Amino acid sequence: MVANRYTSMAYESADEMSFGKTKHPVKTGLGLEIGAGYTIPEVNYAPRPEAGASKEKLIKEYERITTDIMQRMVQVGFPAVILETEHVQQMSNNPDWGAEVAHAQKTIMEEYHDEYGIKCALRHTIGDIRENRDFLQLRGDKYSVFMEAFEKCAENGADLLSVESMGGKEVFDYAILRNDIAGMLYGIGCLGTLDMDMIWSDIAAVAKKTGTIAAGDTDCAQANTAMFIAGGLLDKNLAHTLAIIARAISAPRSLAAYENGAVGPGKDCGYENVIVKSITGMPMAQEGKTSTCAHSDVMGNLIMQCCDVWSNESVEYHGEFGGTSVQCWGESLAYDCALMNTALETGNEKVLRDMFMLSDRYRDPQGYVLAYDNAYKVGEAIVKDGDNIYLRAKNAAIECCNIVEEGVAGKLAISRFEAGALKDAKAALDALPDDMDQFMDDCLTKYQSEVKVFLPENYGF
Amino acid sequence: MLDFTEESLKKVLTRYNVALEKEMTPEEAAEELYPKDELIYPIAKAIFEGEEDDVVEGLQAAIDAGKEAITLIDDALMVGMAVVTKLYDDGVIFLPNVMMSADAMLDGIEFCKENSDTAPETKGTVVCHVAEGDVHDIGKNIVTALLRANGFDVVDLGRDCPVDEVVAAVEENKPIMVTGTALMTTTMYAFKEVNDKLVEKGLNVPFACGGGAVNQDFVAQYELGVYGEEAADAPKIADAIIAGSNIAALREAFHKH
Repeated sequence: MVANRYTSMAYESADEMSFGKTKHPVKTGLGLEIGAGYTIPEVNYAPRPEAGASKEKLIKEYERITTDIMQRMVQVGFPAVILETEHVQQMSNNPDWGAEVAHAQKTIMEEYHDEYGIKCALRHTIGDIRENRDFLQLRGDKYSVFMEAFEKCAENGADLLSVESMGGKEVFDYAILRNDIAGMLYGIGCLGTLDMDMIWSDIAAVAKKTGTIAAGDTDCAQANTAMFIAGGLLDKNLAHTLAIIARAISAPRSLAAYENGAVGPGKDCGYENVIVKSITGMPMAQEGKTSTCAHSDVMGNLIMQCCDVWSNESVEYHGEFGGTSVQCWGESLAYDCALMNTALETGNEKVLRDMFMLSDRYRDPQGYVLAYDNAYKVGEAIVKDGDNIYLRAKNAAIECCNIVEEGVAGKLAISRFEAGALKDAKAALDALPDDMDQFMDDCLTKYQSEVKVFLPENYGF
Repeated sequence: MLDFTEESLKKVLTRYNVALEKEMTPEEAAEELYPKDELIYPIAKAIFEGEEDDVVEGLQAAIDAGKEAITLIDDALMVGMAVVTKLYDDGVIFLPNVMMSADAMLDGIEFCKENSDTAPETKGTVVCHVAEGDVHDIGKNIVTALLRANGFDVVDLGRDCPVDEVVAAVEENKPIMVTGTALMTTTMYAFKEVNDKLVEKGLNVPFACGGGAVNQDFVAQYELGVYGEEAADAPKIADAIIAGSNIAALREAFHKH
């Protein structure tokens, strides 16, 4: 399948965007319609470490998790829920394991749906197992196992298919630790997009064959790595201005899933999803203030602004005072959604959206650029050269720099260090060629020599 | 669209990093720390700036002026790197600066070795690995760079490293410390196996663990475990071991929760 590139925006203006509403709602699972006027909690979990010892233990663990979540949802009266199972490596390396887990979970969900009428769906996020100990192996022997994992899960109960794919990560990991903007652009914007094109056309084919939903990807492996290294305000590991440039570049990369047949909801940890939504009009999952069980971030409220599905990212299954961890975090998510849905039903969604957004708008340059009005501008920069994967990524990076500079002229305060990093990044971007072939050739030569684990054949070169 | 006034904004959030920023620029701070020796100064400065070619050029000039190549590792390269690590610890510079300086320093060390018949002495050897089943290695790469930047010899076993390979590397290299990093809760369980096999063989070496889903409670469950919350803790733990700290003392110093 040839990627159907986006060259225009889904929305006439940024103000048209809101949480819970999309241009293209998705029907799935047991009575769910995502992005059709209400938001839905998505509970994500990790089994306890010892549960991975055998298939039987793992299935039992997921049965407990699923029952706990469904039970809490009906106990407190929430109308809808999505469960997301992010595969541990055993489940993707052995597709039968993943399939049996999906079947066990869906059986329980069907029982609750039949008995109580609760609307629900099951997302399975396959692990990107395409690697060996030393190298990424994106097109090698494991590709067929990778695709088999999607298919078997889809055949056995998963409604939504996702992955956090890793294309370009070997170059990005090298570049991000060296303030290397060209490397970030090459790793995420070019290599990442090429790999996304390949896998998402195949995942979409699996979804079509099995009657399931090709949901979407996230640039967790790269943009979230940058966000986590950047950390909090006092951390000294990476300028937050560089982290948001990586995020802006990640938007056209994650967009490629939808250009190859995915329809949403995009994966929760894709903070770039607000930009992707502005372009596609498709539903998106997000995570923020109710995913502090998994990690801190500096835009916990803001990122709710345009979500359709609201996630806790991940929590290890264990006991808390208020029940098991999945029950506690699931309940918090569902109450967040109840508030958003109340705003939607009373016609106050734009007020609540703006309050979410404003509370973090000036907390950090990352939140500033992802505020829906600015995210929309990044989207416009991407679709301007939507057919050229290099130029659109470069456009996103440059627009991101411009937005931060405009913000600094107003109420956005950044440190001298962040300002310096931004200035250097802008200069590096300005020095890049406009010609994609030249950029690709230059980068191939440079990173083949500097990054020992970079294998060009992974990208069909 | 809703917006704050300047006054109302201050009541909602505080940009502590902006409020607390040091007055001095990194370059000014580094200038105060460089050694004054005219042969050493350019090498230390090139390390700070992460310029490999300038490091080698400075080393060649020092050797031409009669300095022993092998002594320049401690007397110039490590001195320059000490400037970098101090400014990183003080919050004046950020991690990418350290990584670029470490790259330059390693090139410099190779140059010194090529120009000498004697082997350099290091502060000690550390065995580093990513847990079996886990391929996320950016944390380990930061740890190894920071350890090397602080004068330790690193045996890097890479990612997805089998438990027995870690144990064999400890038997062979007699390290002062082992490090293990993991992103996933399911893979960090391998740390317990590494610990048990090391203990079984009487290899009671501190085992510093950290990363993504790893937490202090988990690491404290096994005998040799020392939890490192930040990658930057690794060289500090190693320094404490050299200074005589046992595992109990390391936990006292580095277990923050």
